[in-house]
Amino acid sequence: MDFGFTSDQQLLKNSARAFLDEHCKPATVRASWDDPRGDNDAMWKEMAQLGWLGLSLPEAHGGSGLGMVETAVLLEEMGHAACPGAYWPTILAATAIGEAGTDAQKKRWLPAIATGEARATTAFLDGDLDWNPDAVTTRARRTSKGWTLSGEKRFVPWAHVANVMLVPARGKEGVTLFALEPSARGLSLSPVAGMDLATRWVHVKLDNVPLAADAVVGNPGQAAPLLAALLRRGAVGAAAEMLGASRRCLEMAVGYAKVREQFGQPIGSFQAIRHKCAEMLVEVENSHSATYYAAWALDAQADDHALAASVAKAYVSDAARKVCGESIQVHGGIGFTWEYDLHLYFKRAKALEPMYGDAEYHRDLIVKHVAG
Amino acid sequence: MDLNYAPEDLAFREATRQWFATNTPSEDLKTLDERKAWHRRMYEAGYVGMLWPKEYGGRDATPMQSAIVSDEMARVSAPPPINGLGIGFIGPTIIVHGTDWQKQRYLKKILTAEEIWCQLYSEPNAGSDLASLKTKAEDAGDHFVVNGQKIWTSSGPIADWGLLLCRTDTSVPKHRGISCVLLNMRQPGVEVRPLKQLTGHSLFSEVFMTNARAEKVDLLGRLGQGWEIAQTTLGYERGANSLGRVTRYNIAFNQLVKAAKALRRDGKPLIENAAVRAKMGRIYAELEVQRYAALRVLSSLQKSEGPGAASSLTKYSYTEFEKRYYETALEILGPSGQLLTSHHDWDDLDTSSGEDGTWATSYLWSRAGTIYSGSSEIQKNVIGERVLGLPKEIRADRVKA
Repeated sequence: MDFGFTSDQQLLKNSARAFLDEHCKPATVRASWDDPRGDNDAMWKEMAQLGWLGLSLPEAHGGSGLGMVETAVLLEEMGHAACPGAYWPTILAATAIGEAGTDAQKKRWLPAIATGEARATTAFLDGDLDWNPDAVTTRARRTSKGWTLSGEKRFVPWAHVANVMLVPARGKEGVTLFALEPSARGLSLSPVAGMDLATRWVHVKLDNVPLAADAVVGNPGQAAPLLAALLRRGAVGAAAEMLGASRRCLEMAVGYAKVREQFGQPIGSFQAIRHKCAEMLVEVENSHSATYYAAWALDAQADDHALAASVAKAYVSDAARKVCGESIQVHGGIGFTWEYDLHLYFKRAKALEPMYGDAEYHRDLIVKHVAG
Repeated sequence: MDLNYAPEDLAFREATRQWFATNTPSEDLKTLDERKAWHRRMYEAGYVGMLWPKEYGGRDATPMQSAIVSDEMARVSAPPPINGLGIGFIGPTIIVHGTDWQKQRYLKKILTAEEIWCQLYSEPNAGSDLASLKTKAEDAGDHFVVNGQKIWTSSGPIADWGLLLCRTDTSVPKHRGISCVLLNMRQPGVEVRPLKQLTGHSLFSEVFMTNARAEKVDLLGRLGQGWEIAQTTLGYERGANSLGRVTRYNIAFNQLVKAAKALRRDGKPLIENAAVRAKMGRIYAELEVQRYAALRVLSSLQKSEGPGAASSLTKYSYTEFEKRYYETALEILGPSGQLLTSHHDWDDLDTSSGEDGTWATSYLWSRAGTIYSGSSEIQKNVIGERVLGLPKEIRADRVKA
């Protein structure tokens, strides 16, 4: 039993922190806000060179074959830096291709993702924003040459920069997962702005989009379990990123409470502030336990891995909102300004909160696991 | 990271499970003699004082093994050993600070529960501010004369000895004038009066010392070292009960699920009600996080990374969780959660919480956890100052000192 990182994992964490401290400063994040793409291609290429993009991909396809724990280590650091870009959507979609794709799909996409040439994403949500993988309403119809898809996908992360988008759609045979490329006819993308300007969402319209038969990922009609597994993984990744954001907010609150003076004393000497910081630390450490337990359980395919993923997402969503929000409170007025960097992390945590199943969705899954 | 149990821990768990399956008494233990006999059996099987060094009669067990034993005991609701404070806190303190004579005289009898110990720390006017304690021990040549009052003493009426914090010097700042003395409770100068808690139980007592006698050989450590010793005392035993605690929460949760399937609202089982599910999902997520956190603490104890001040995080986190847990359970159970007995012939609903009786008892006791052994507010001070490095508050007593 060892809950600590191995020396390799610790090394990865340290080098990720060092890289992001240098290459993803708050100013870098701010610069992404006005960019139409919103990500930083130079940084993406460097991340590829560091091996981050291939980290969890199979070795046969240019990756390093590492697991969710290592991925969570990176994602925590990215959250800590409020790093913009399609990292997690890309890796998550690559996981699906790696697990369920055809050889041709793997050869086409995985090496390109590992080298930083391709980005990917998954369109989980339809118009009614139901996370249940069985609730897909986008329609898939078989044609003589393959399929056509019609419907709407909402809040697709980073779809505007993706070279391939995984789209679940419902046909007579059930829910099927398709790989779409941006050039597909009848596909239109409209970016929408959320409060975290370094997170990009896209509304996607599919108007009789024609697809060849080889666009199917996995078996037709049988995508629901794959999507459920993908959501679980997505949820744990989001938890890791929210954990990083809340750790950053805690560090900033504690740092500020040590130097900000009122009534002739540092405000951190007042119990009202100190106790708040202590409560935040407890939430952060519990979030760490929840996130890494779930990441390990996914890697080990432990009996409780599905439960653990839902626990992590349900717990960390709430904890991160609390910690980042309380950090603003500790800072007082300065924490509410545009110029002060705190809102970068506060908003990142908030943007991830509803993704890959919100806390309420996962709480219901938890009860299903325990009580049926 | 590897959260699989080591093969030797799995084997140890299996052996432990079998022992408790065979040996756990089927009837409640009523008398002190019955409880001592059960303690003795556990001791002889090696399940008491497991973390103590072998040379003092312990087992040099790992924190994980100790946690596994408490976990297995929780699974079958085995009665705890009787000398909990002696074994968990006082014996280990004597091992660290005691003289050879003291170790020889006291340790074995703590393990075997031949002598029961209590802790004489809190006073009516020294709770969170423990260092302001006023109980006095005056030098009378070959012994000390002790006068004062203690409160919140566990096992008071059955205790033979007490670990006493007392003031031996009033001329120095308060933390430095405190000494630690081993006090014989069986003497005319010591009177124990049980306190009744709001649960209706009497687990704590007041202890009045009137010209009580403590021998010089029973001074633990140096004169004036008492505060320092008390600080180390608080550091022992963390983690040992962690898994057992979570197992008890789990047993209770299964009972809650059963009740939520039996009770109905709008013609449907309560468990199908969305609001109830949301509450249950939230509290179960917290329960699981307590389990993960327990494993994390055990893992760092295994590597001899003592949790240090971080144990304040654990204590704060689980005691506050416990309040939310039982509050949630009683919201769901309605008036059934408040019953003082769990089985009634007019009701086939089982409203036991699966541990030590009823939800009502657990709910009421949960109010104590955030007060004893350093209140939540004290824990947050410790976390703030010693873990986060925030500046100390300016306090009237520190200014004077």
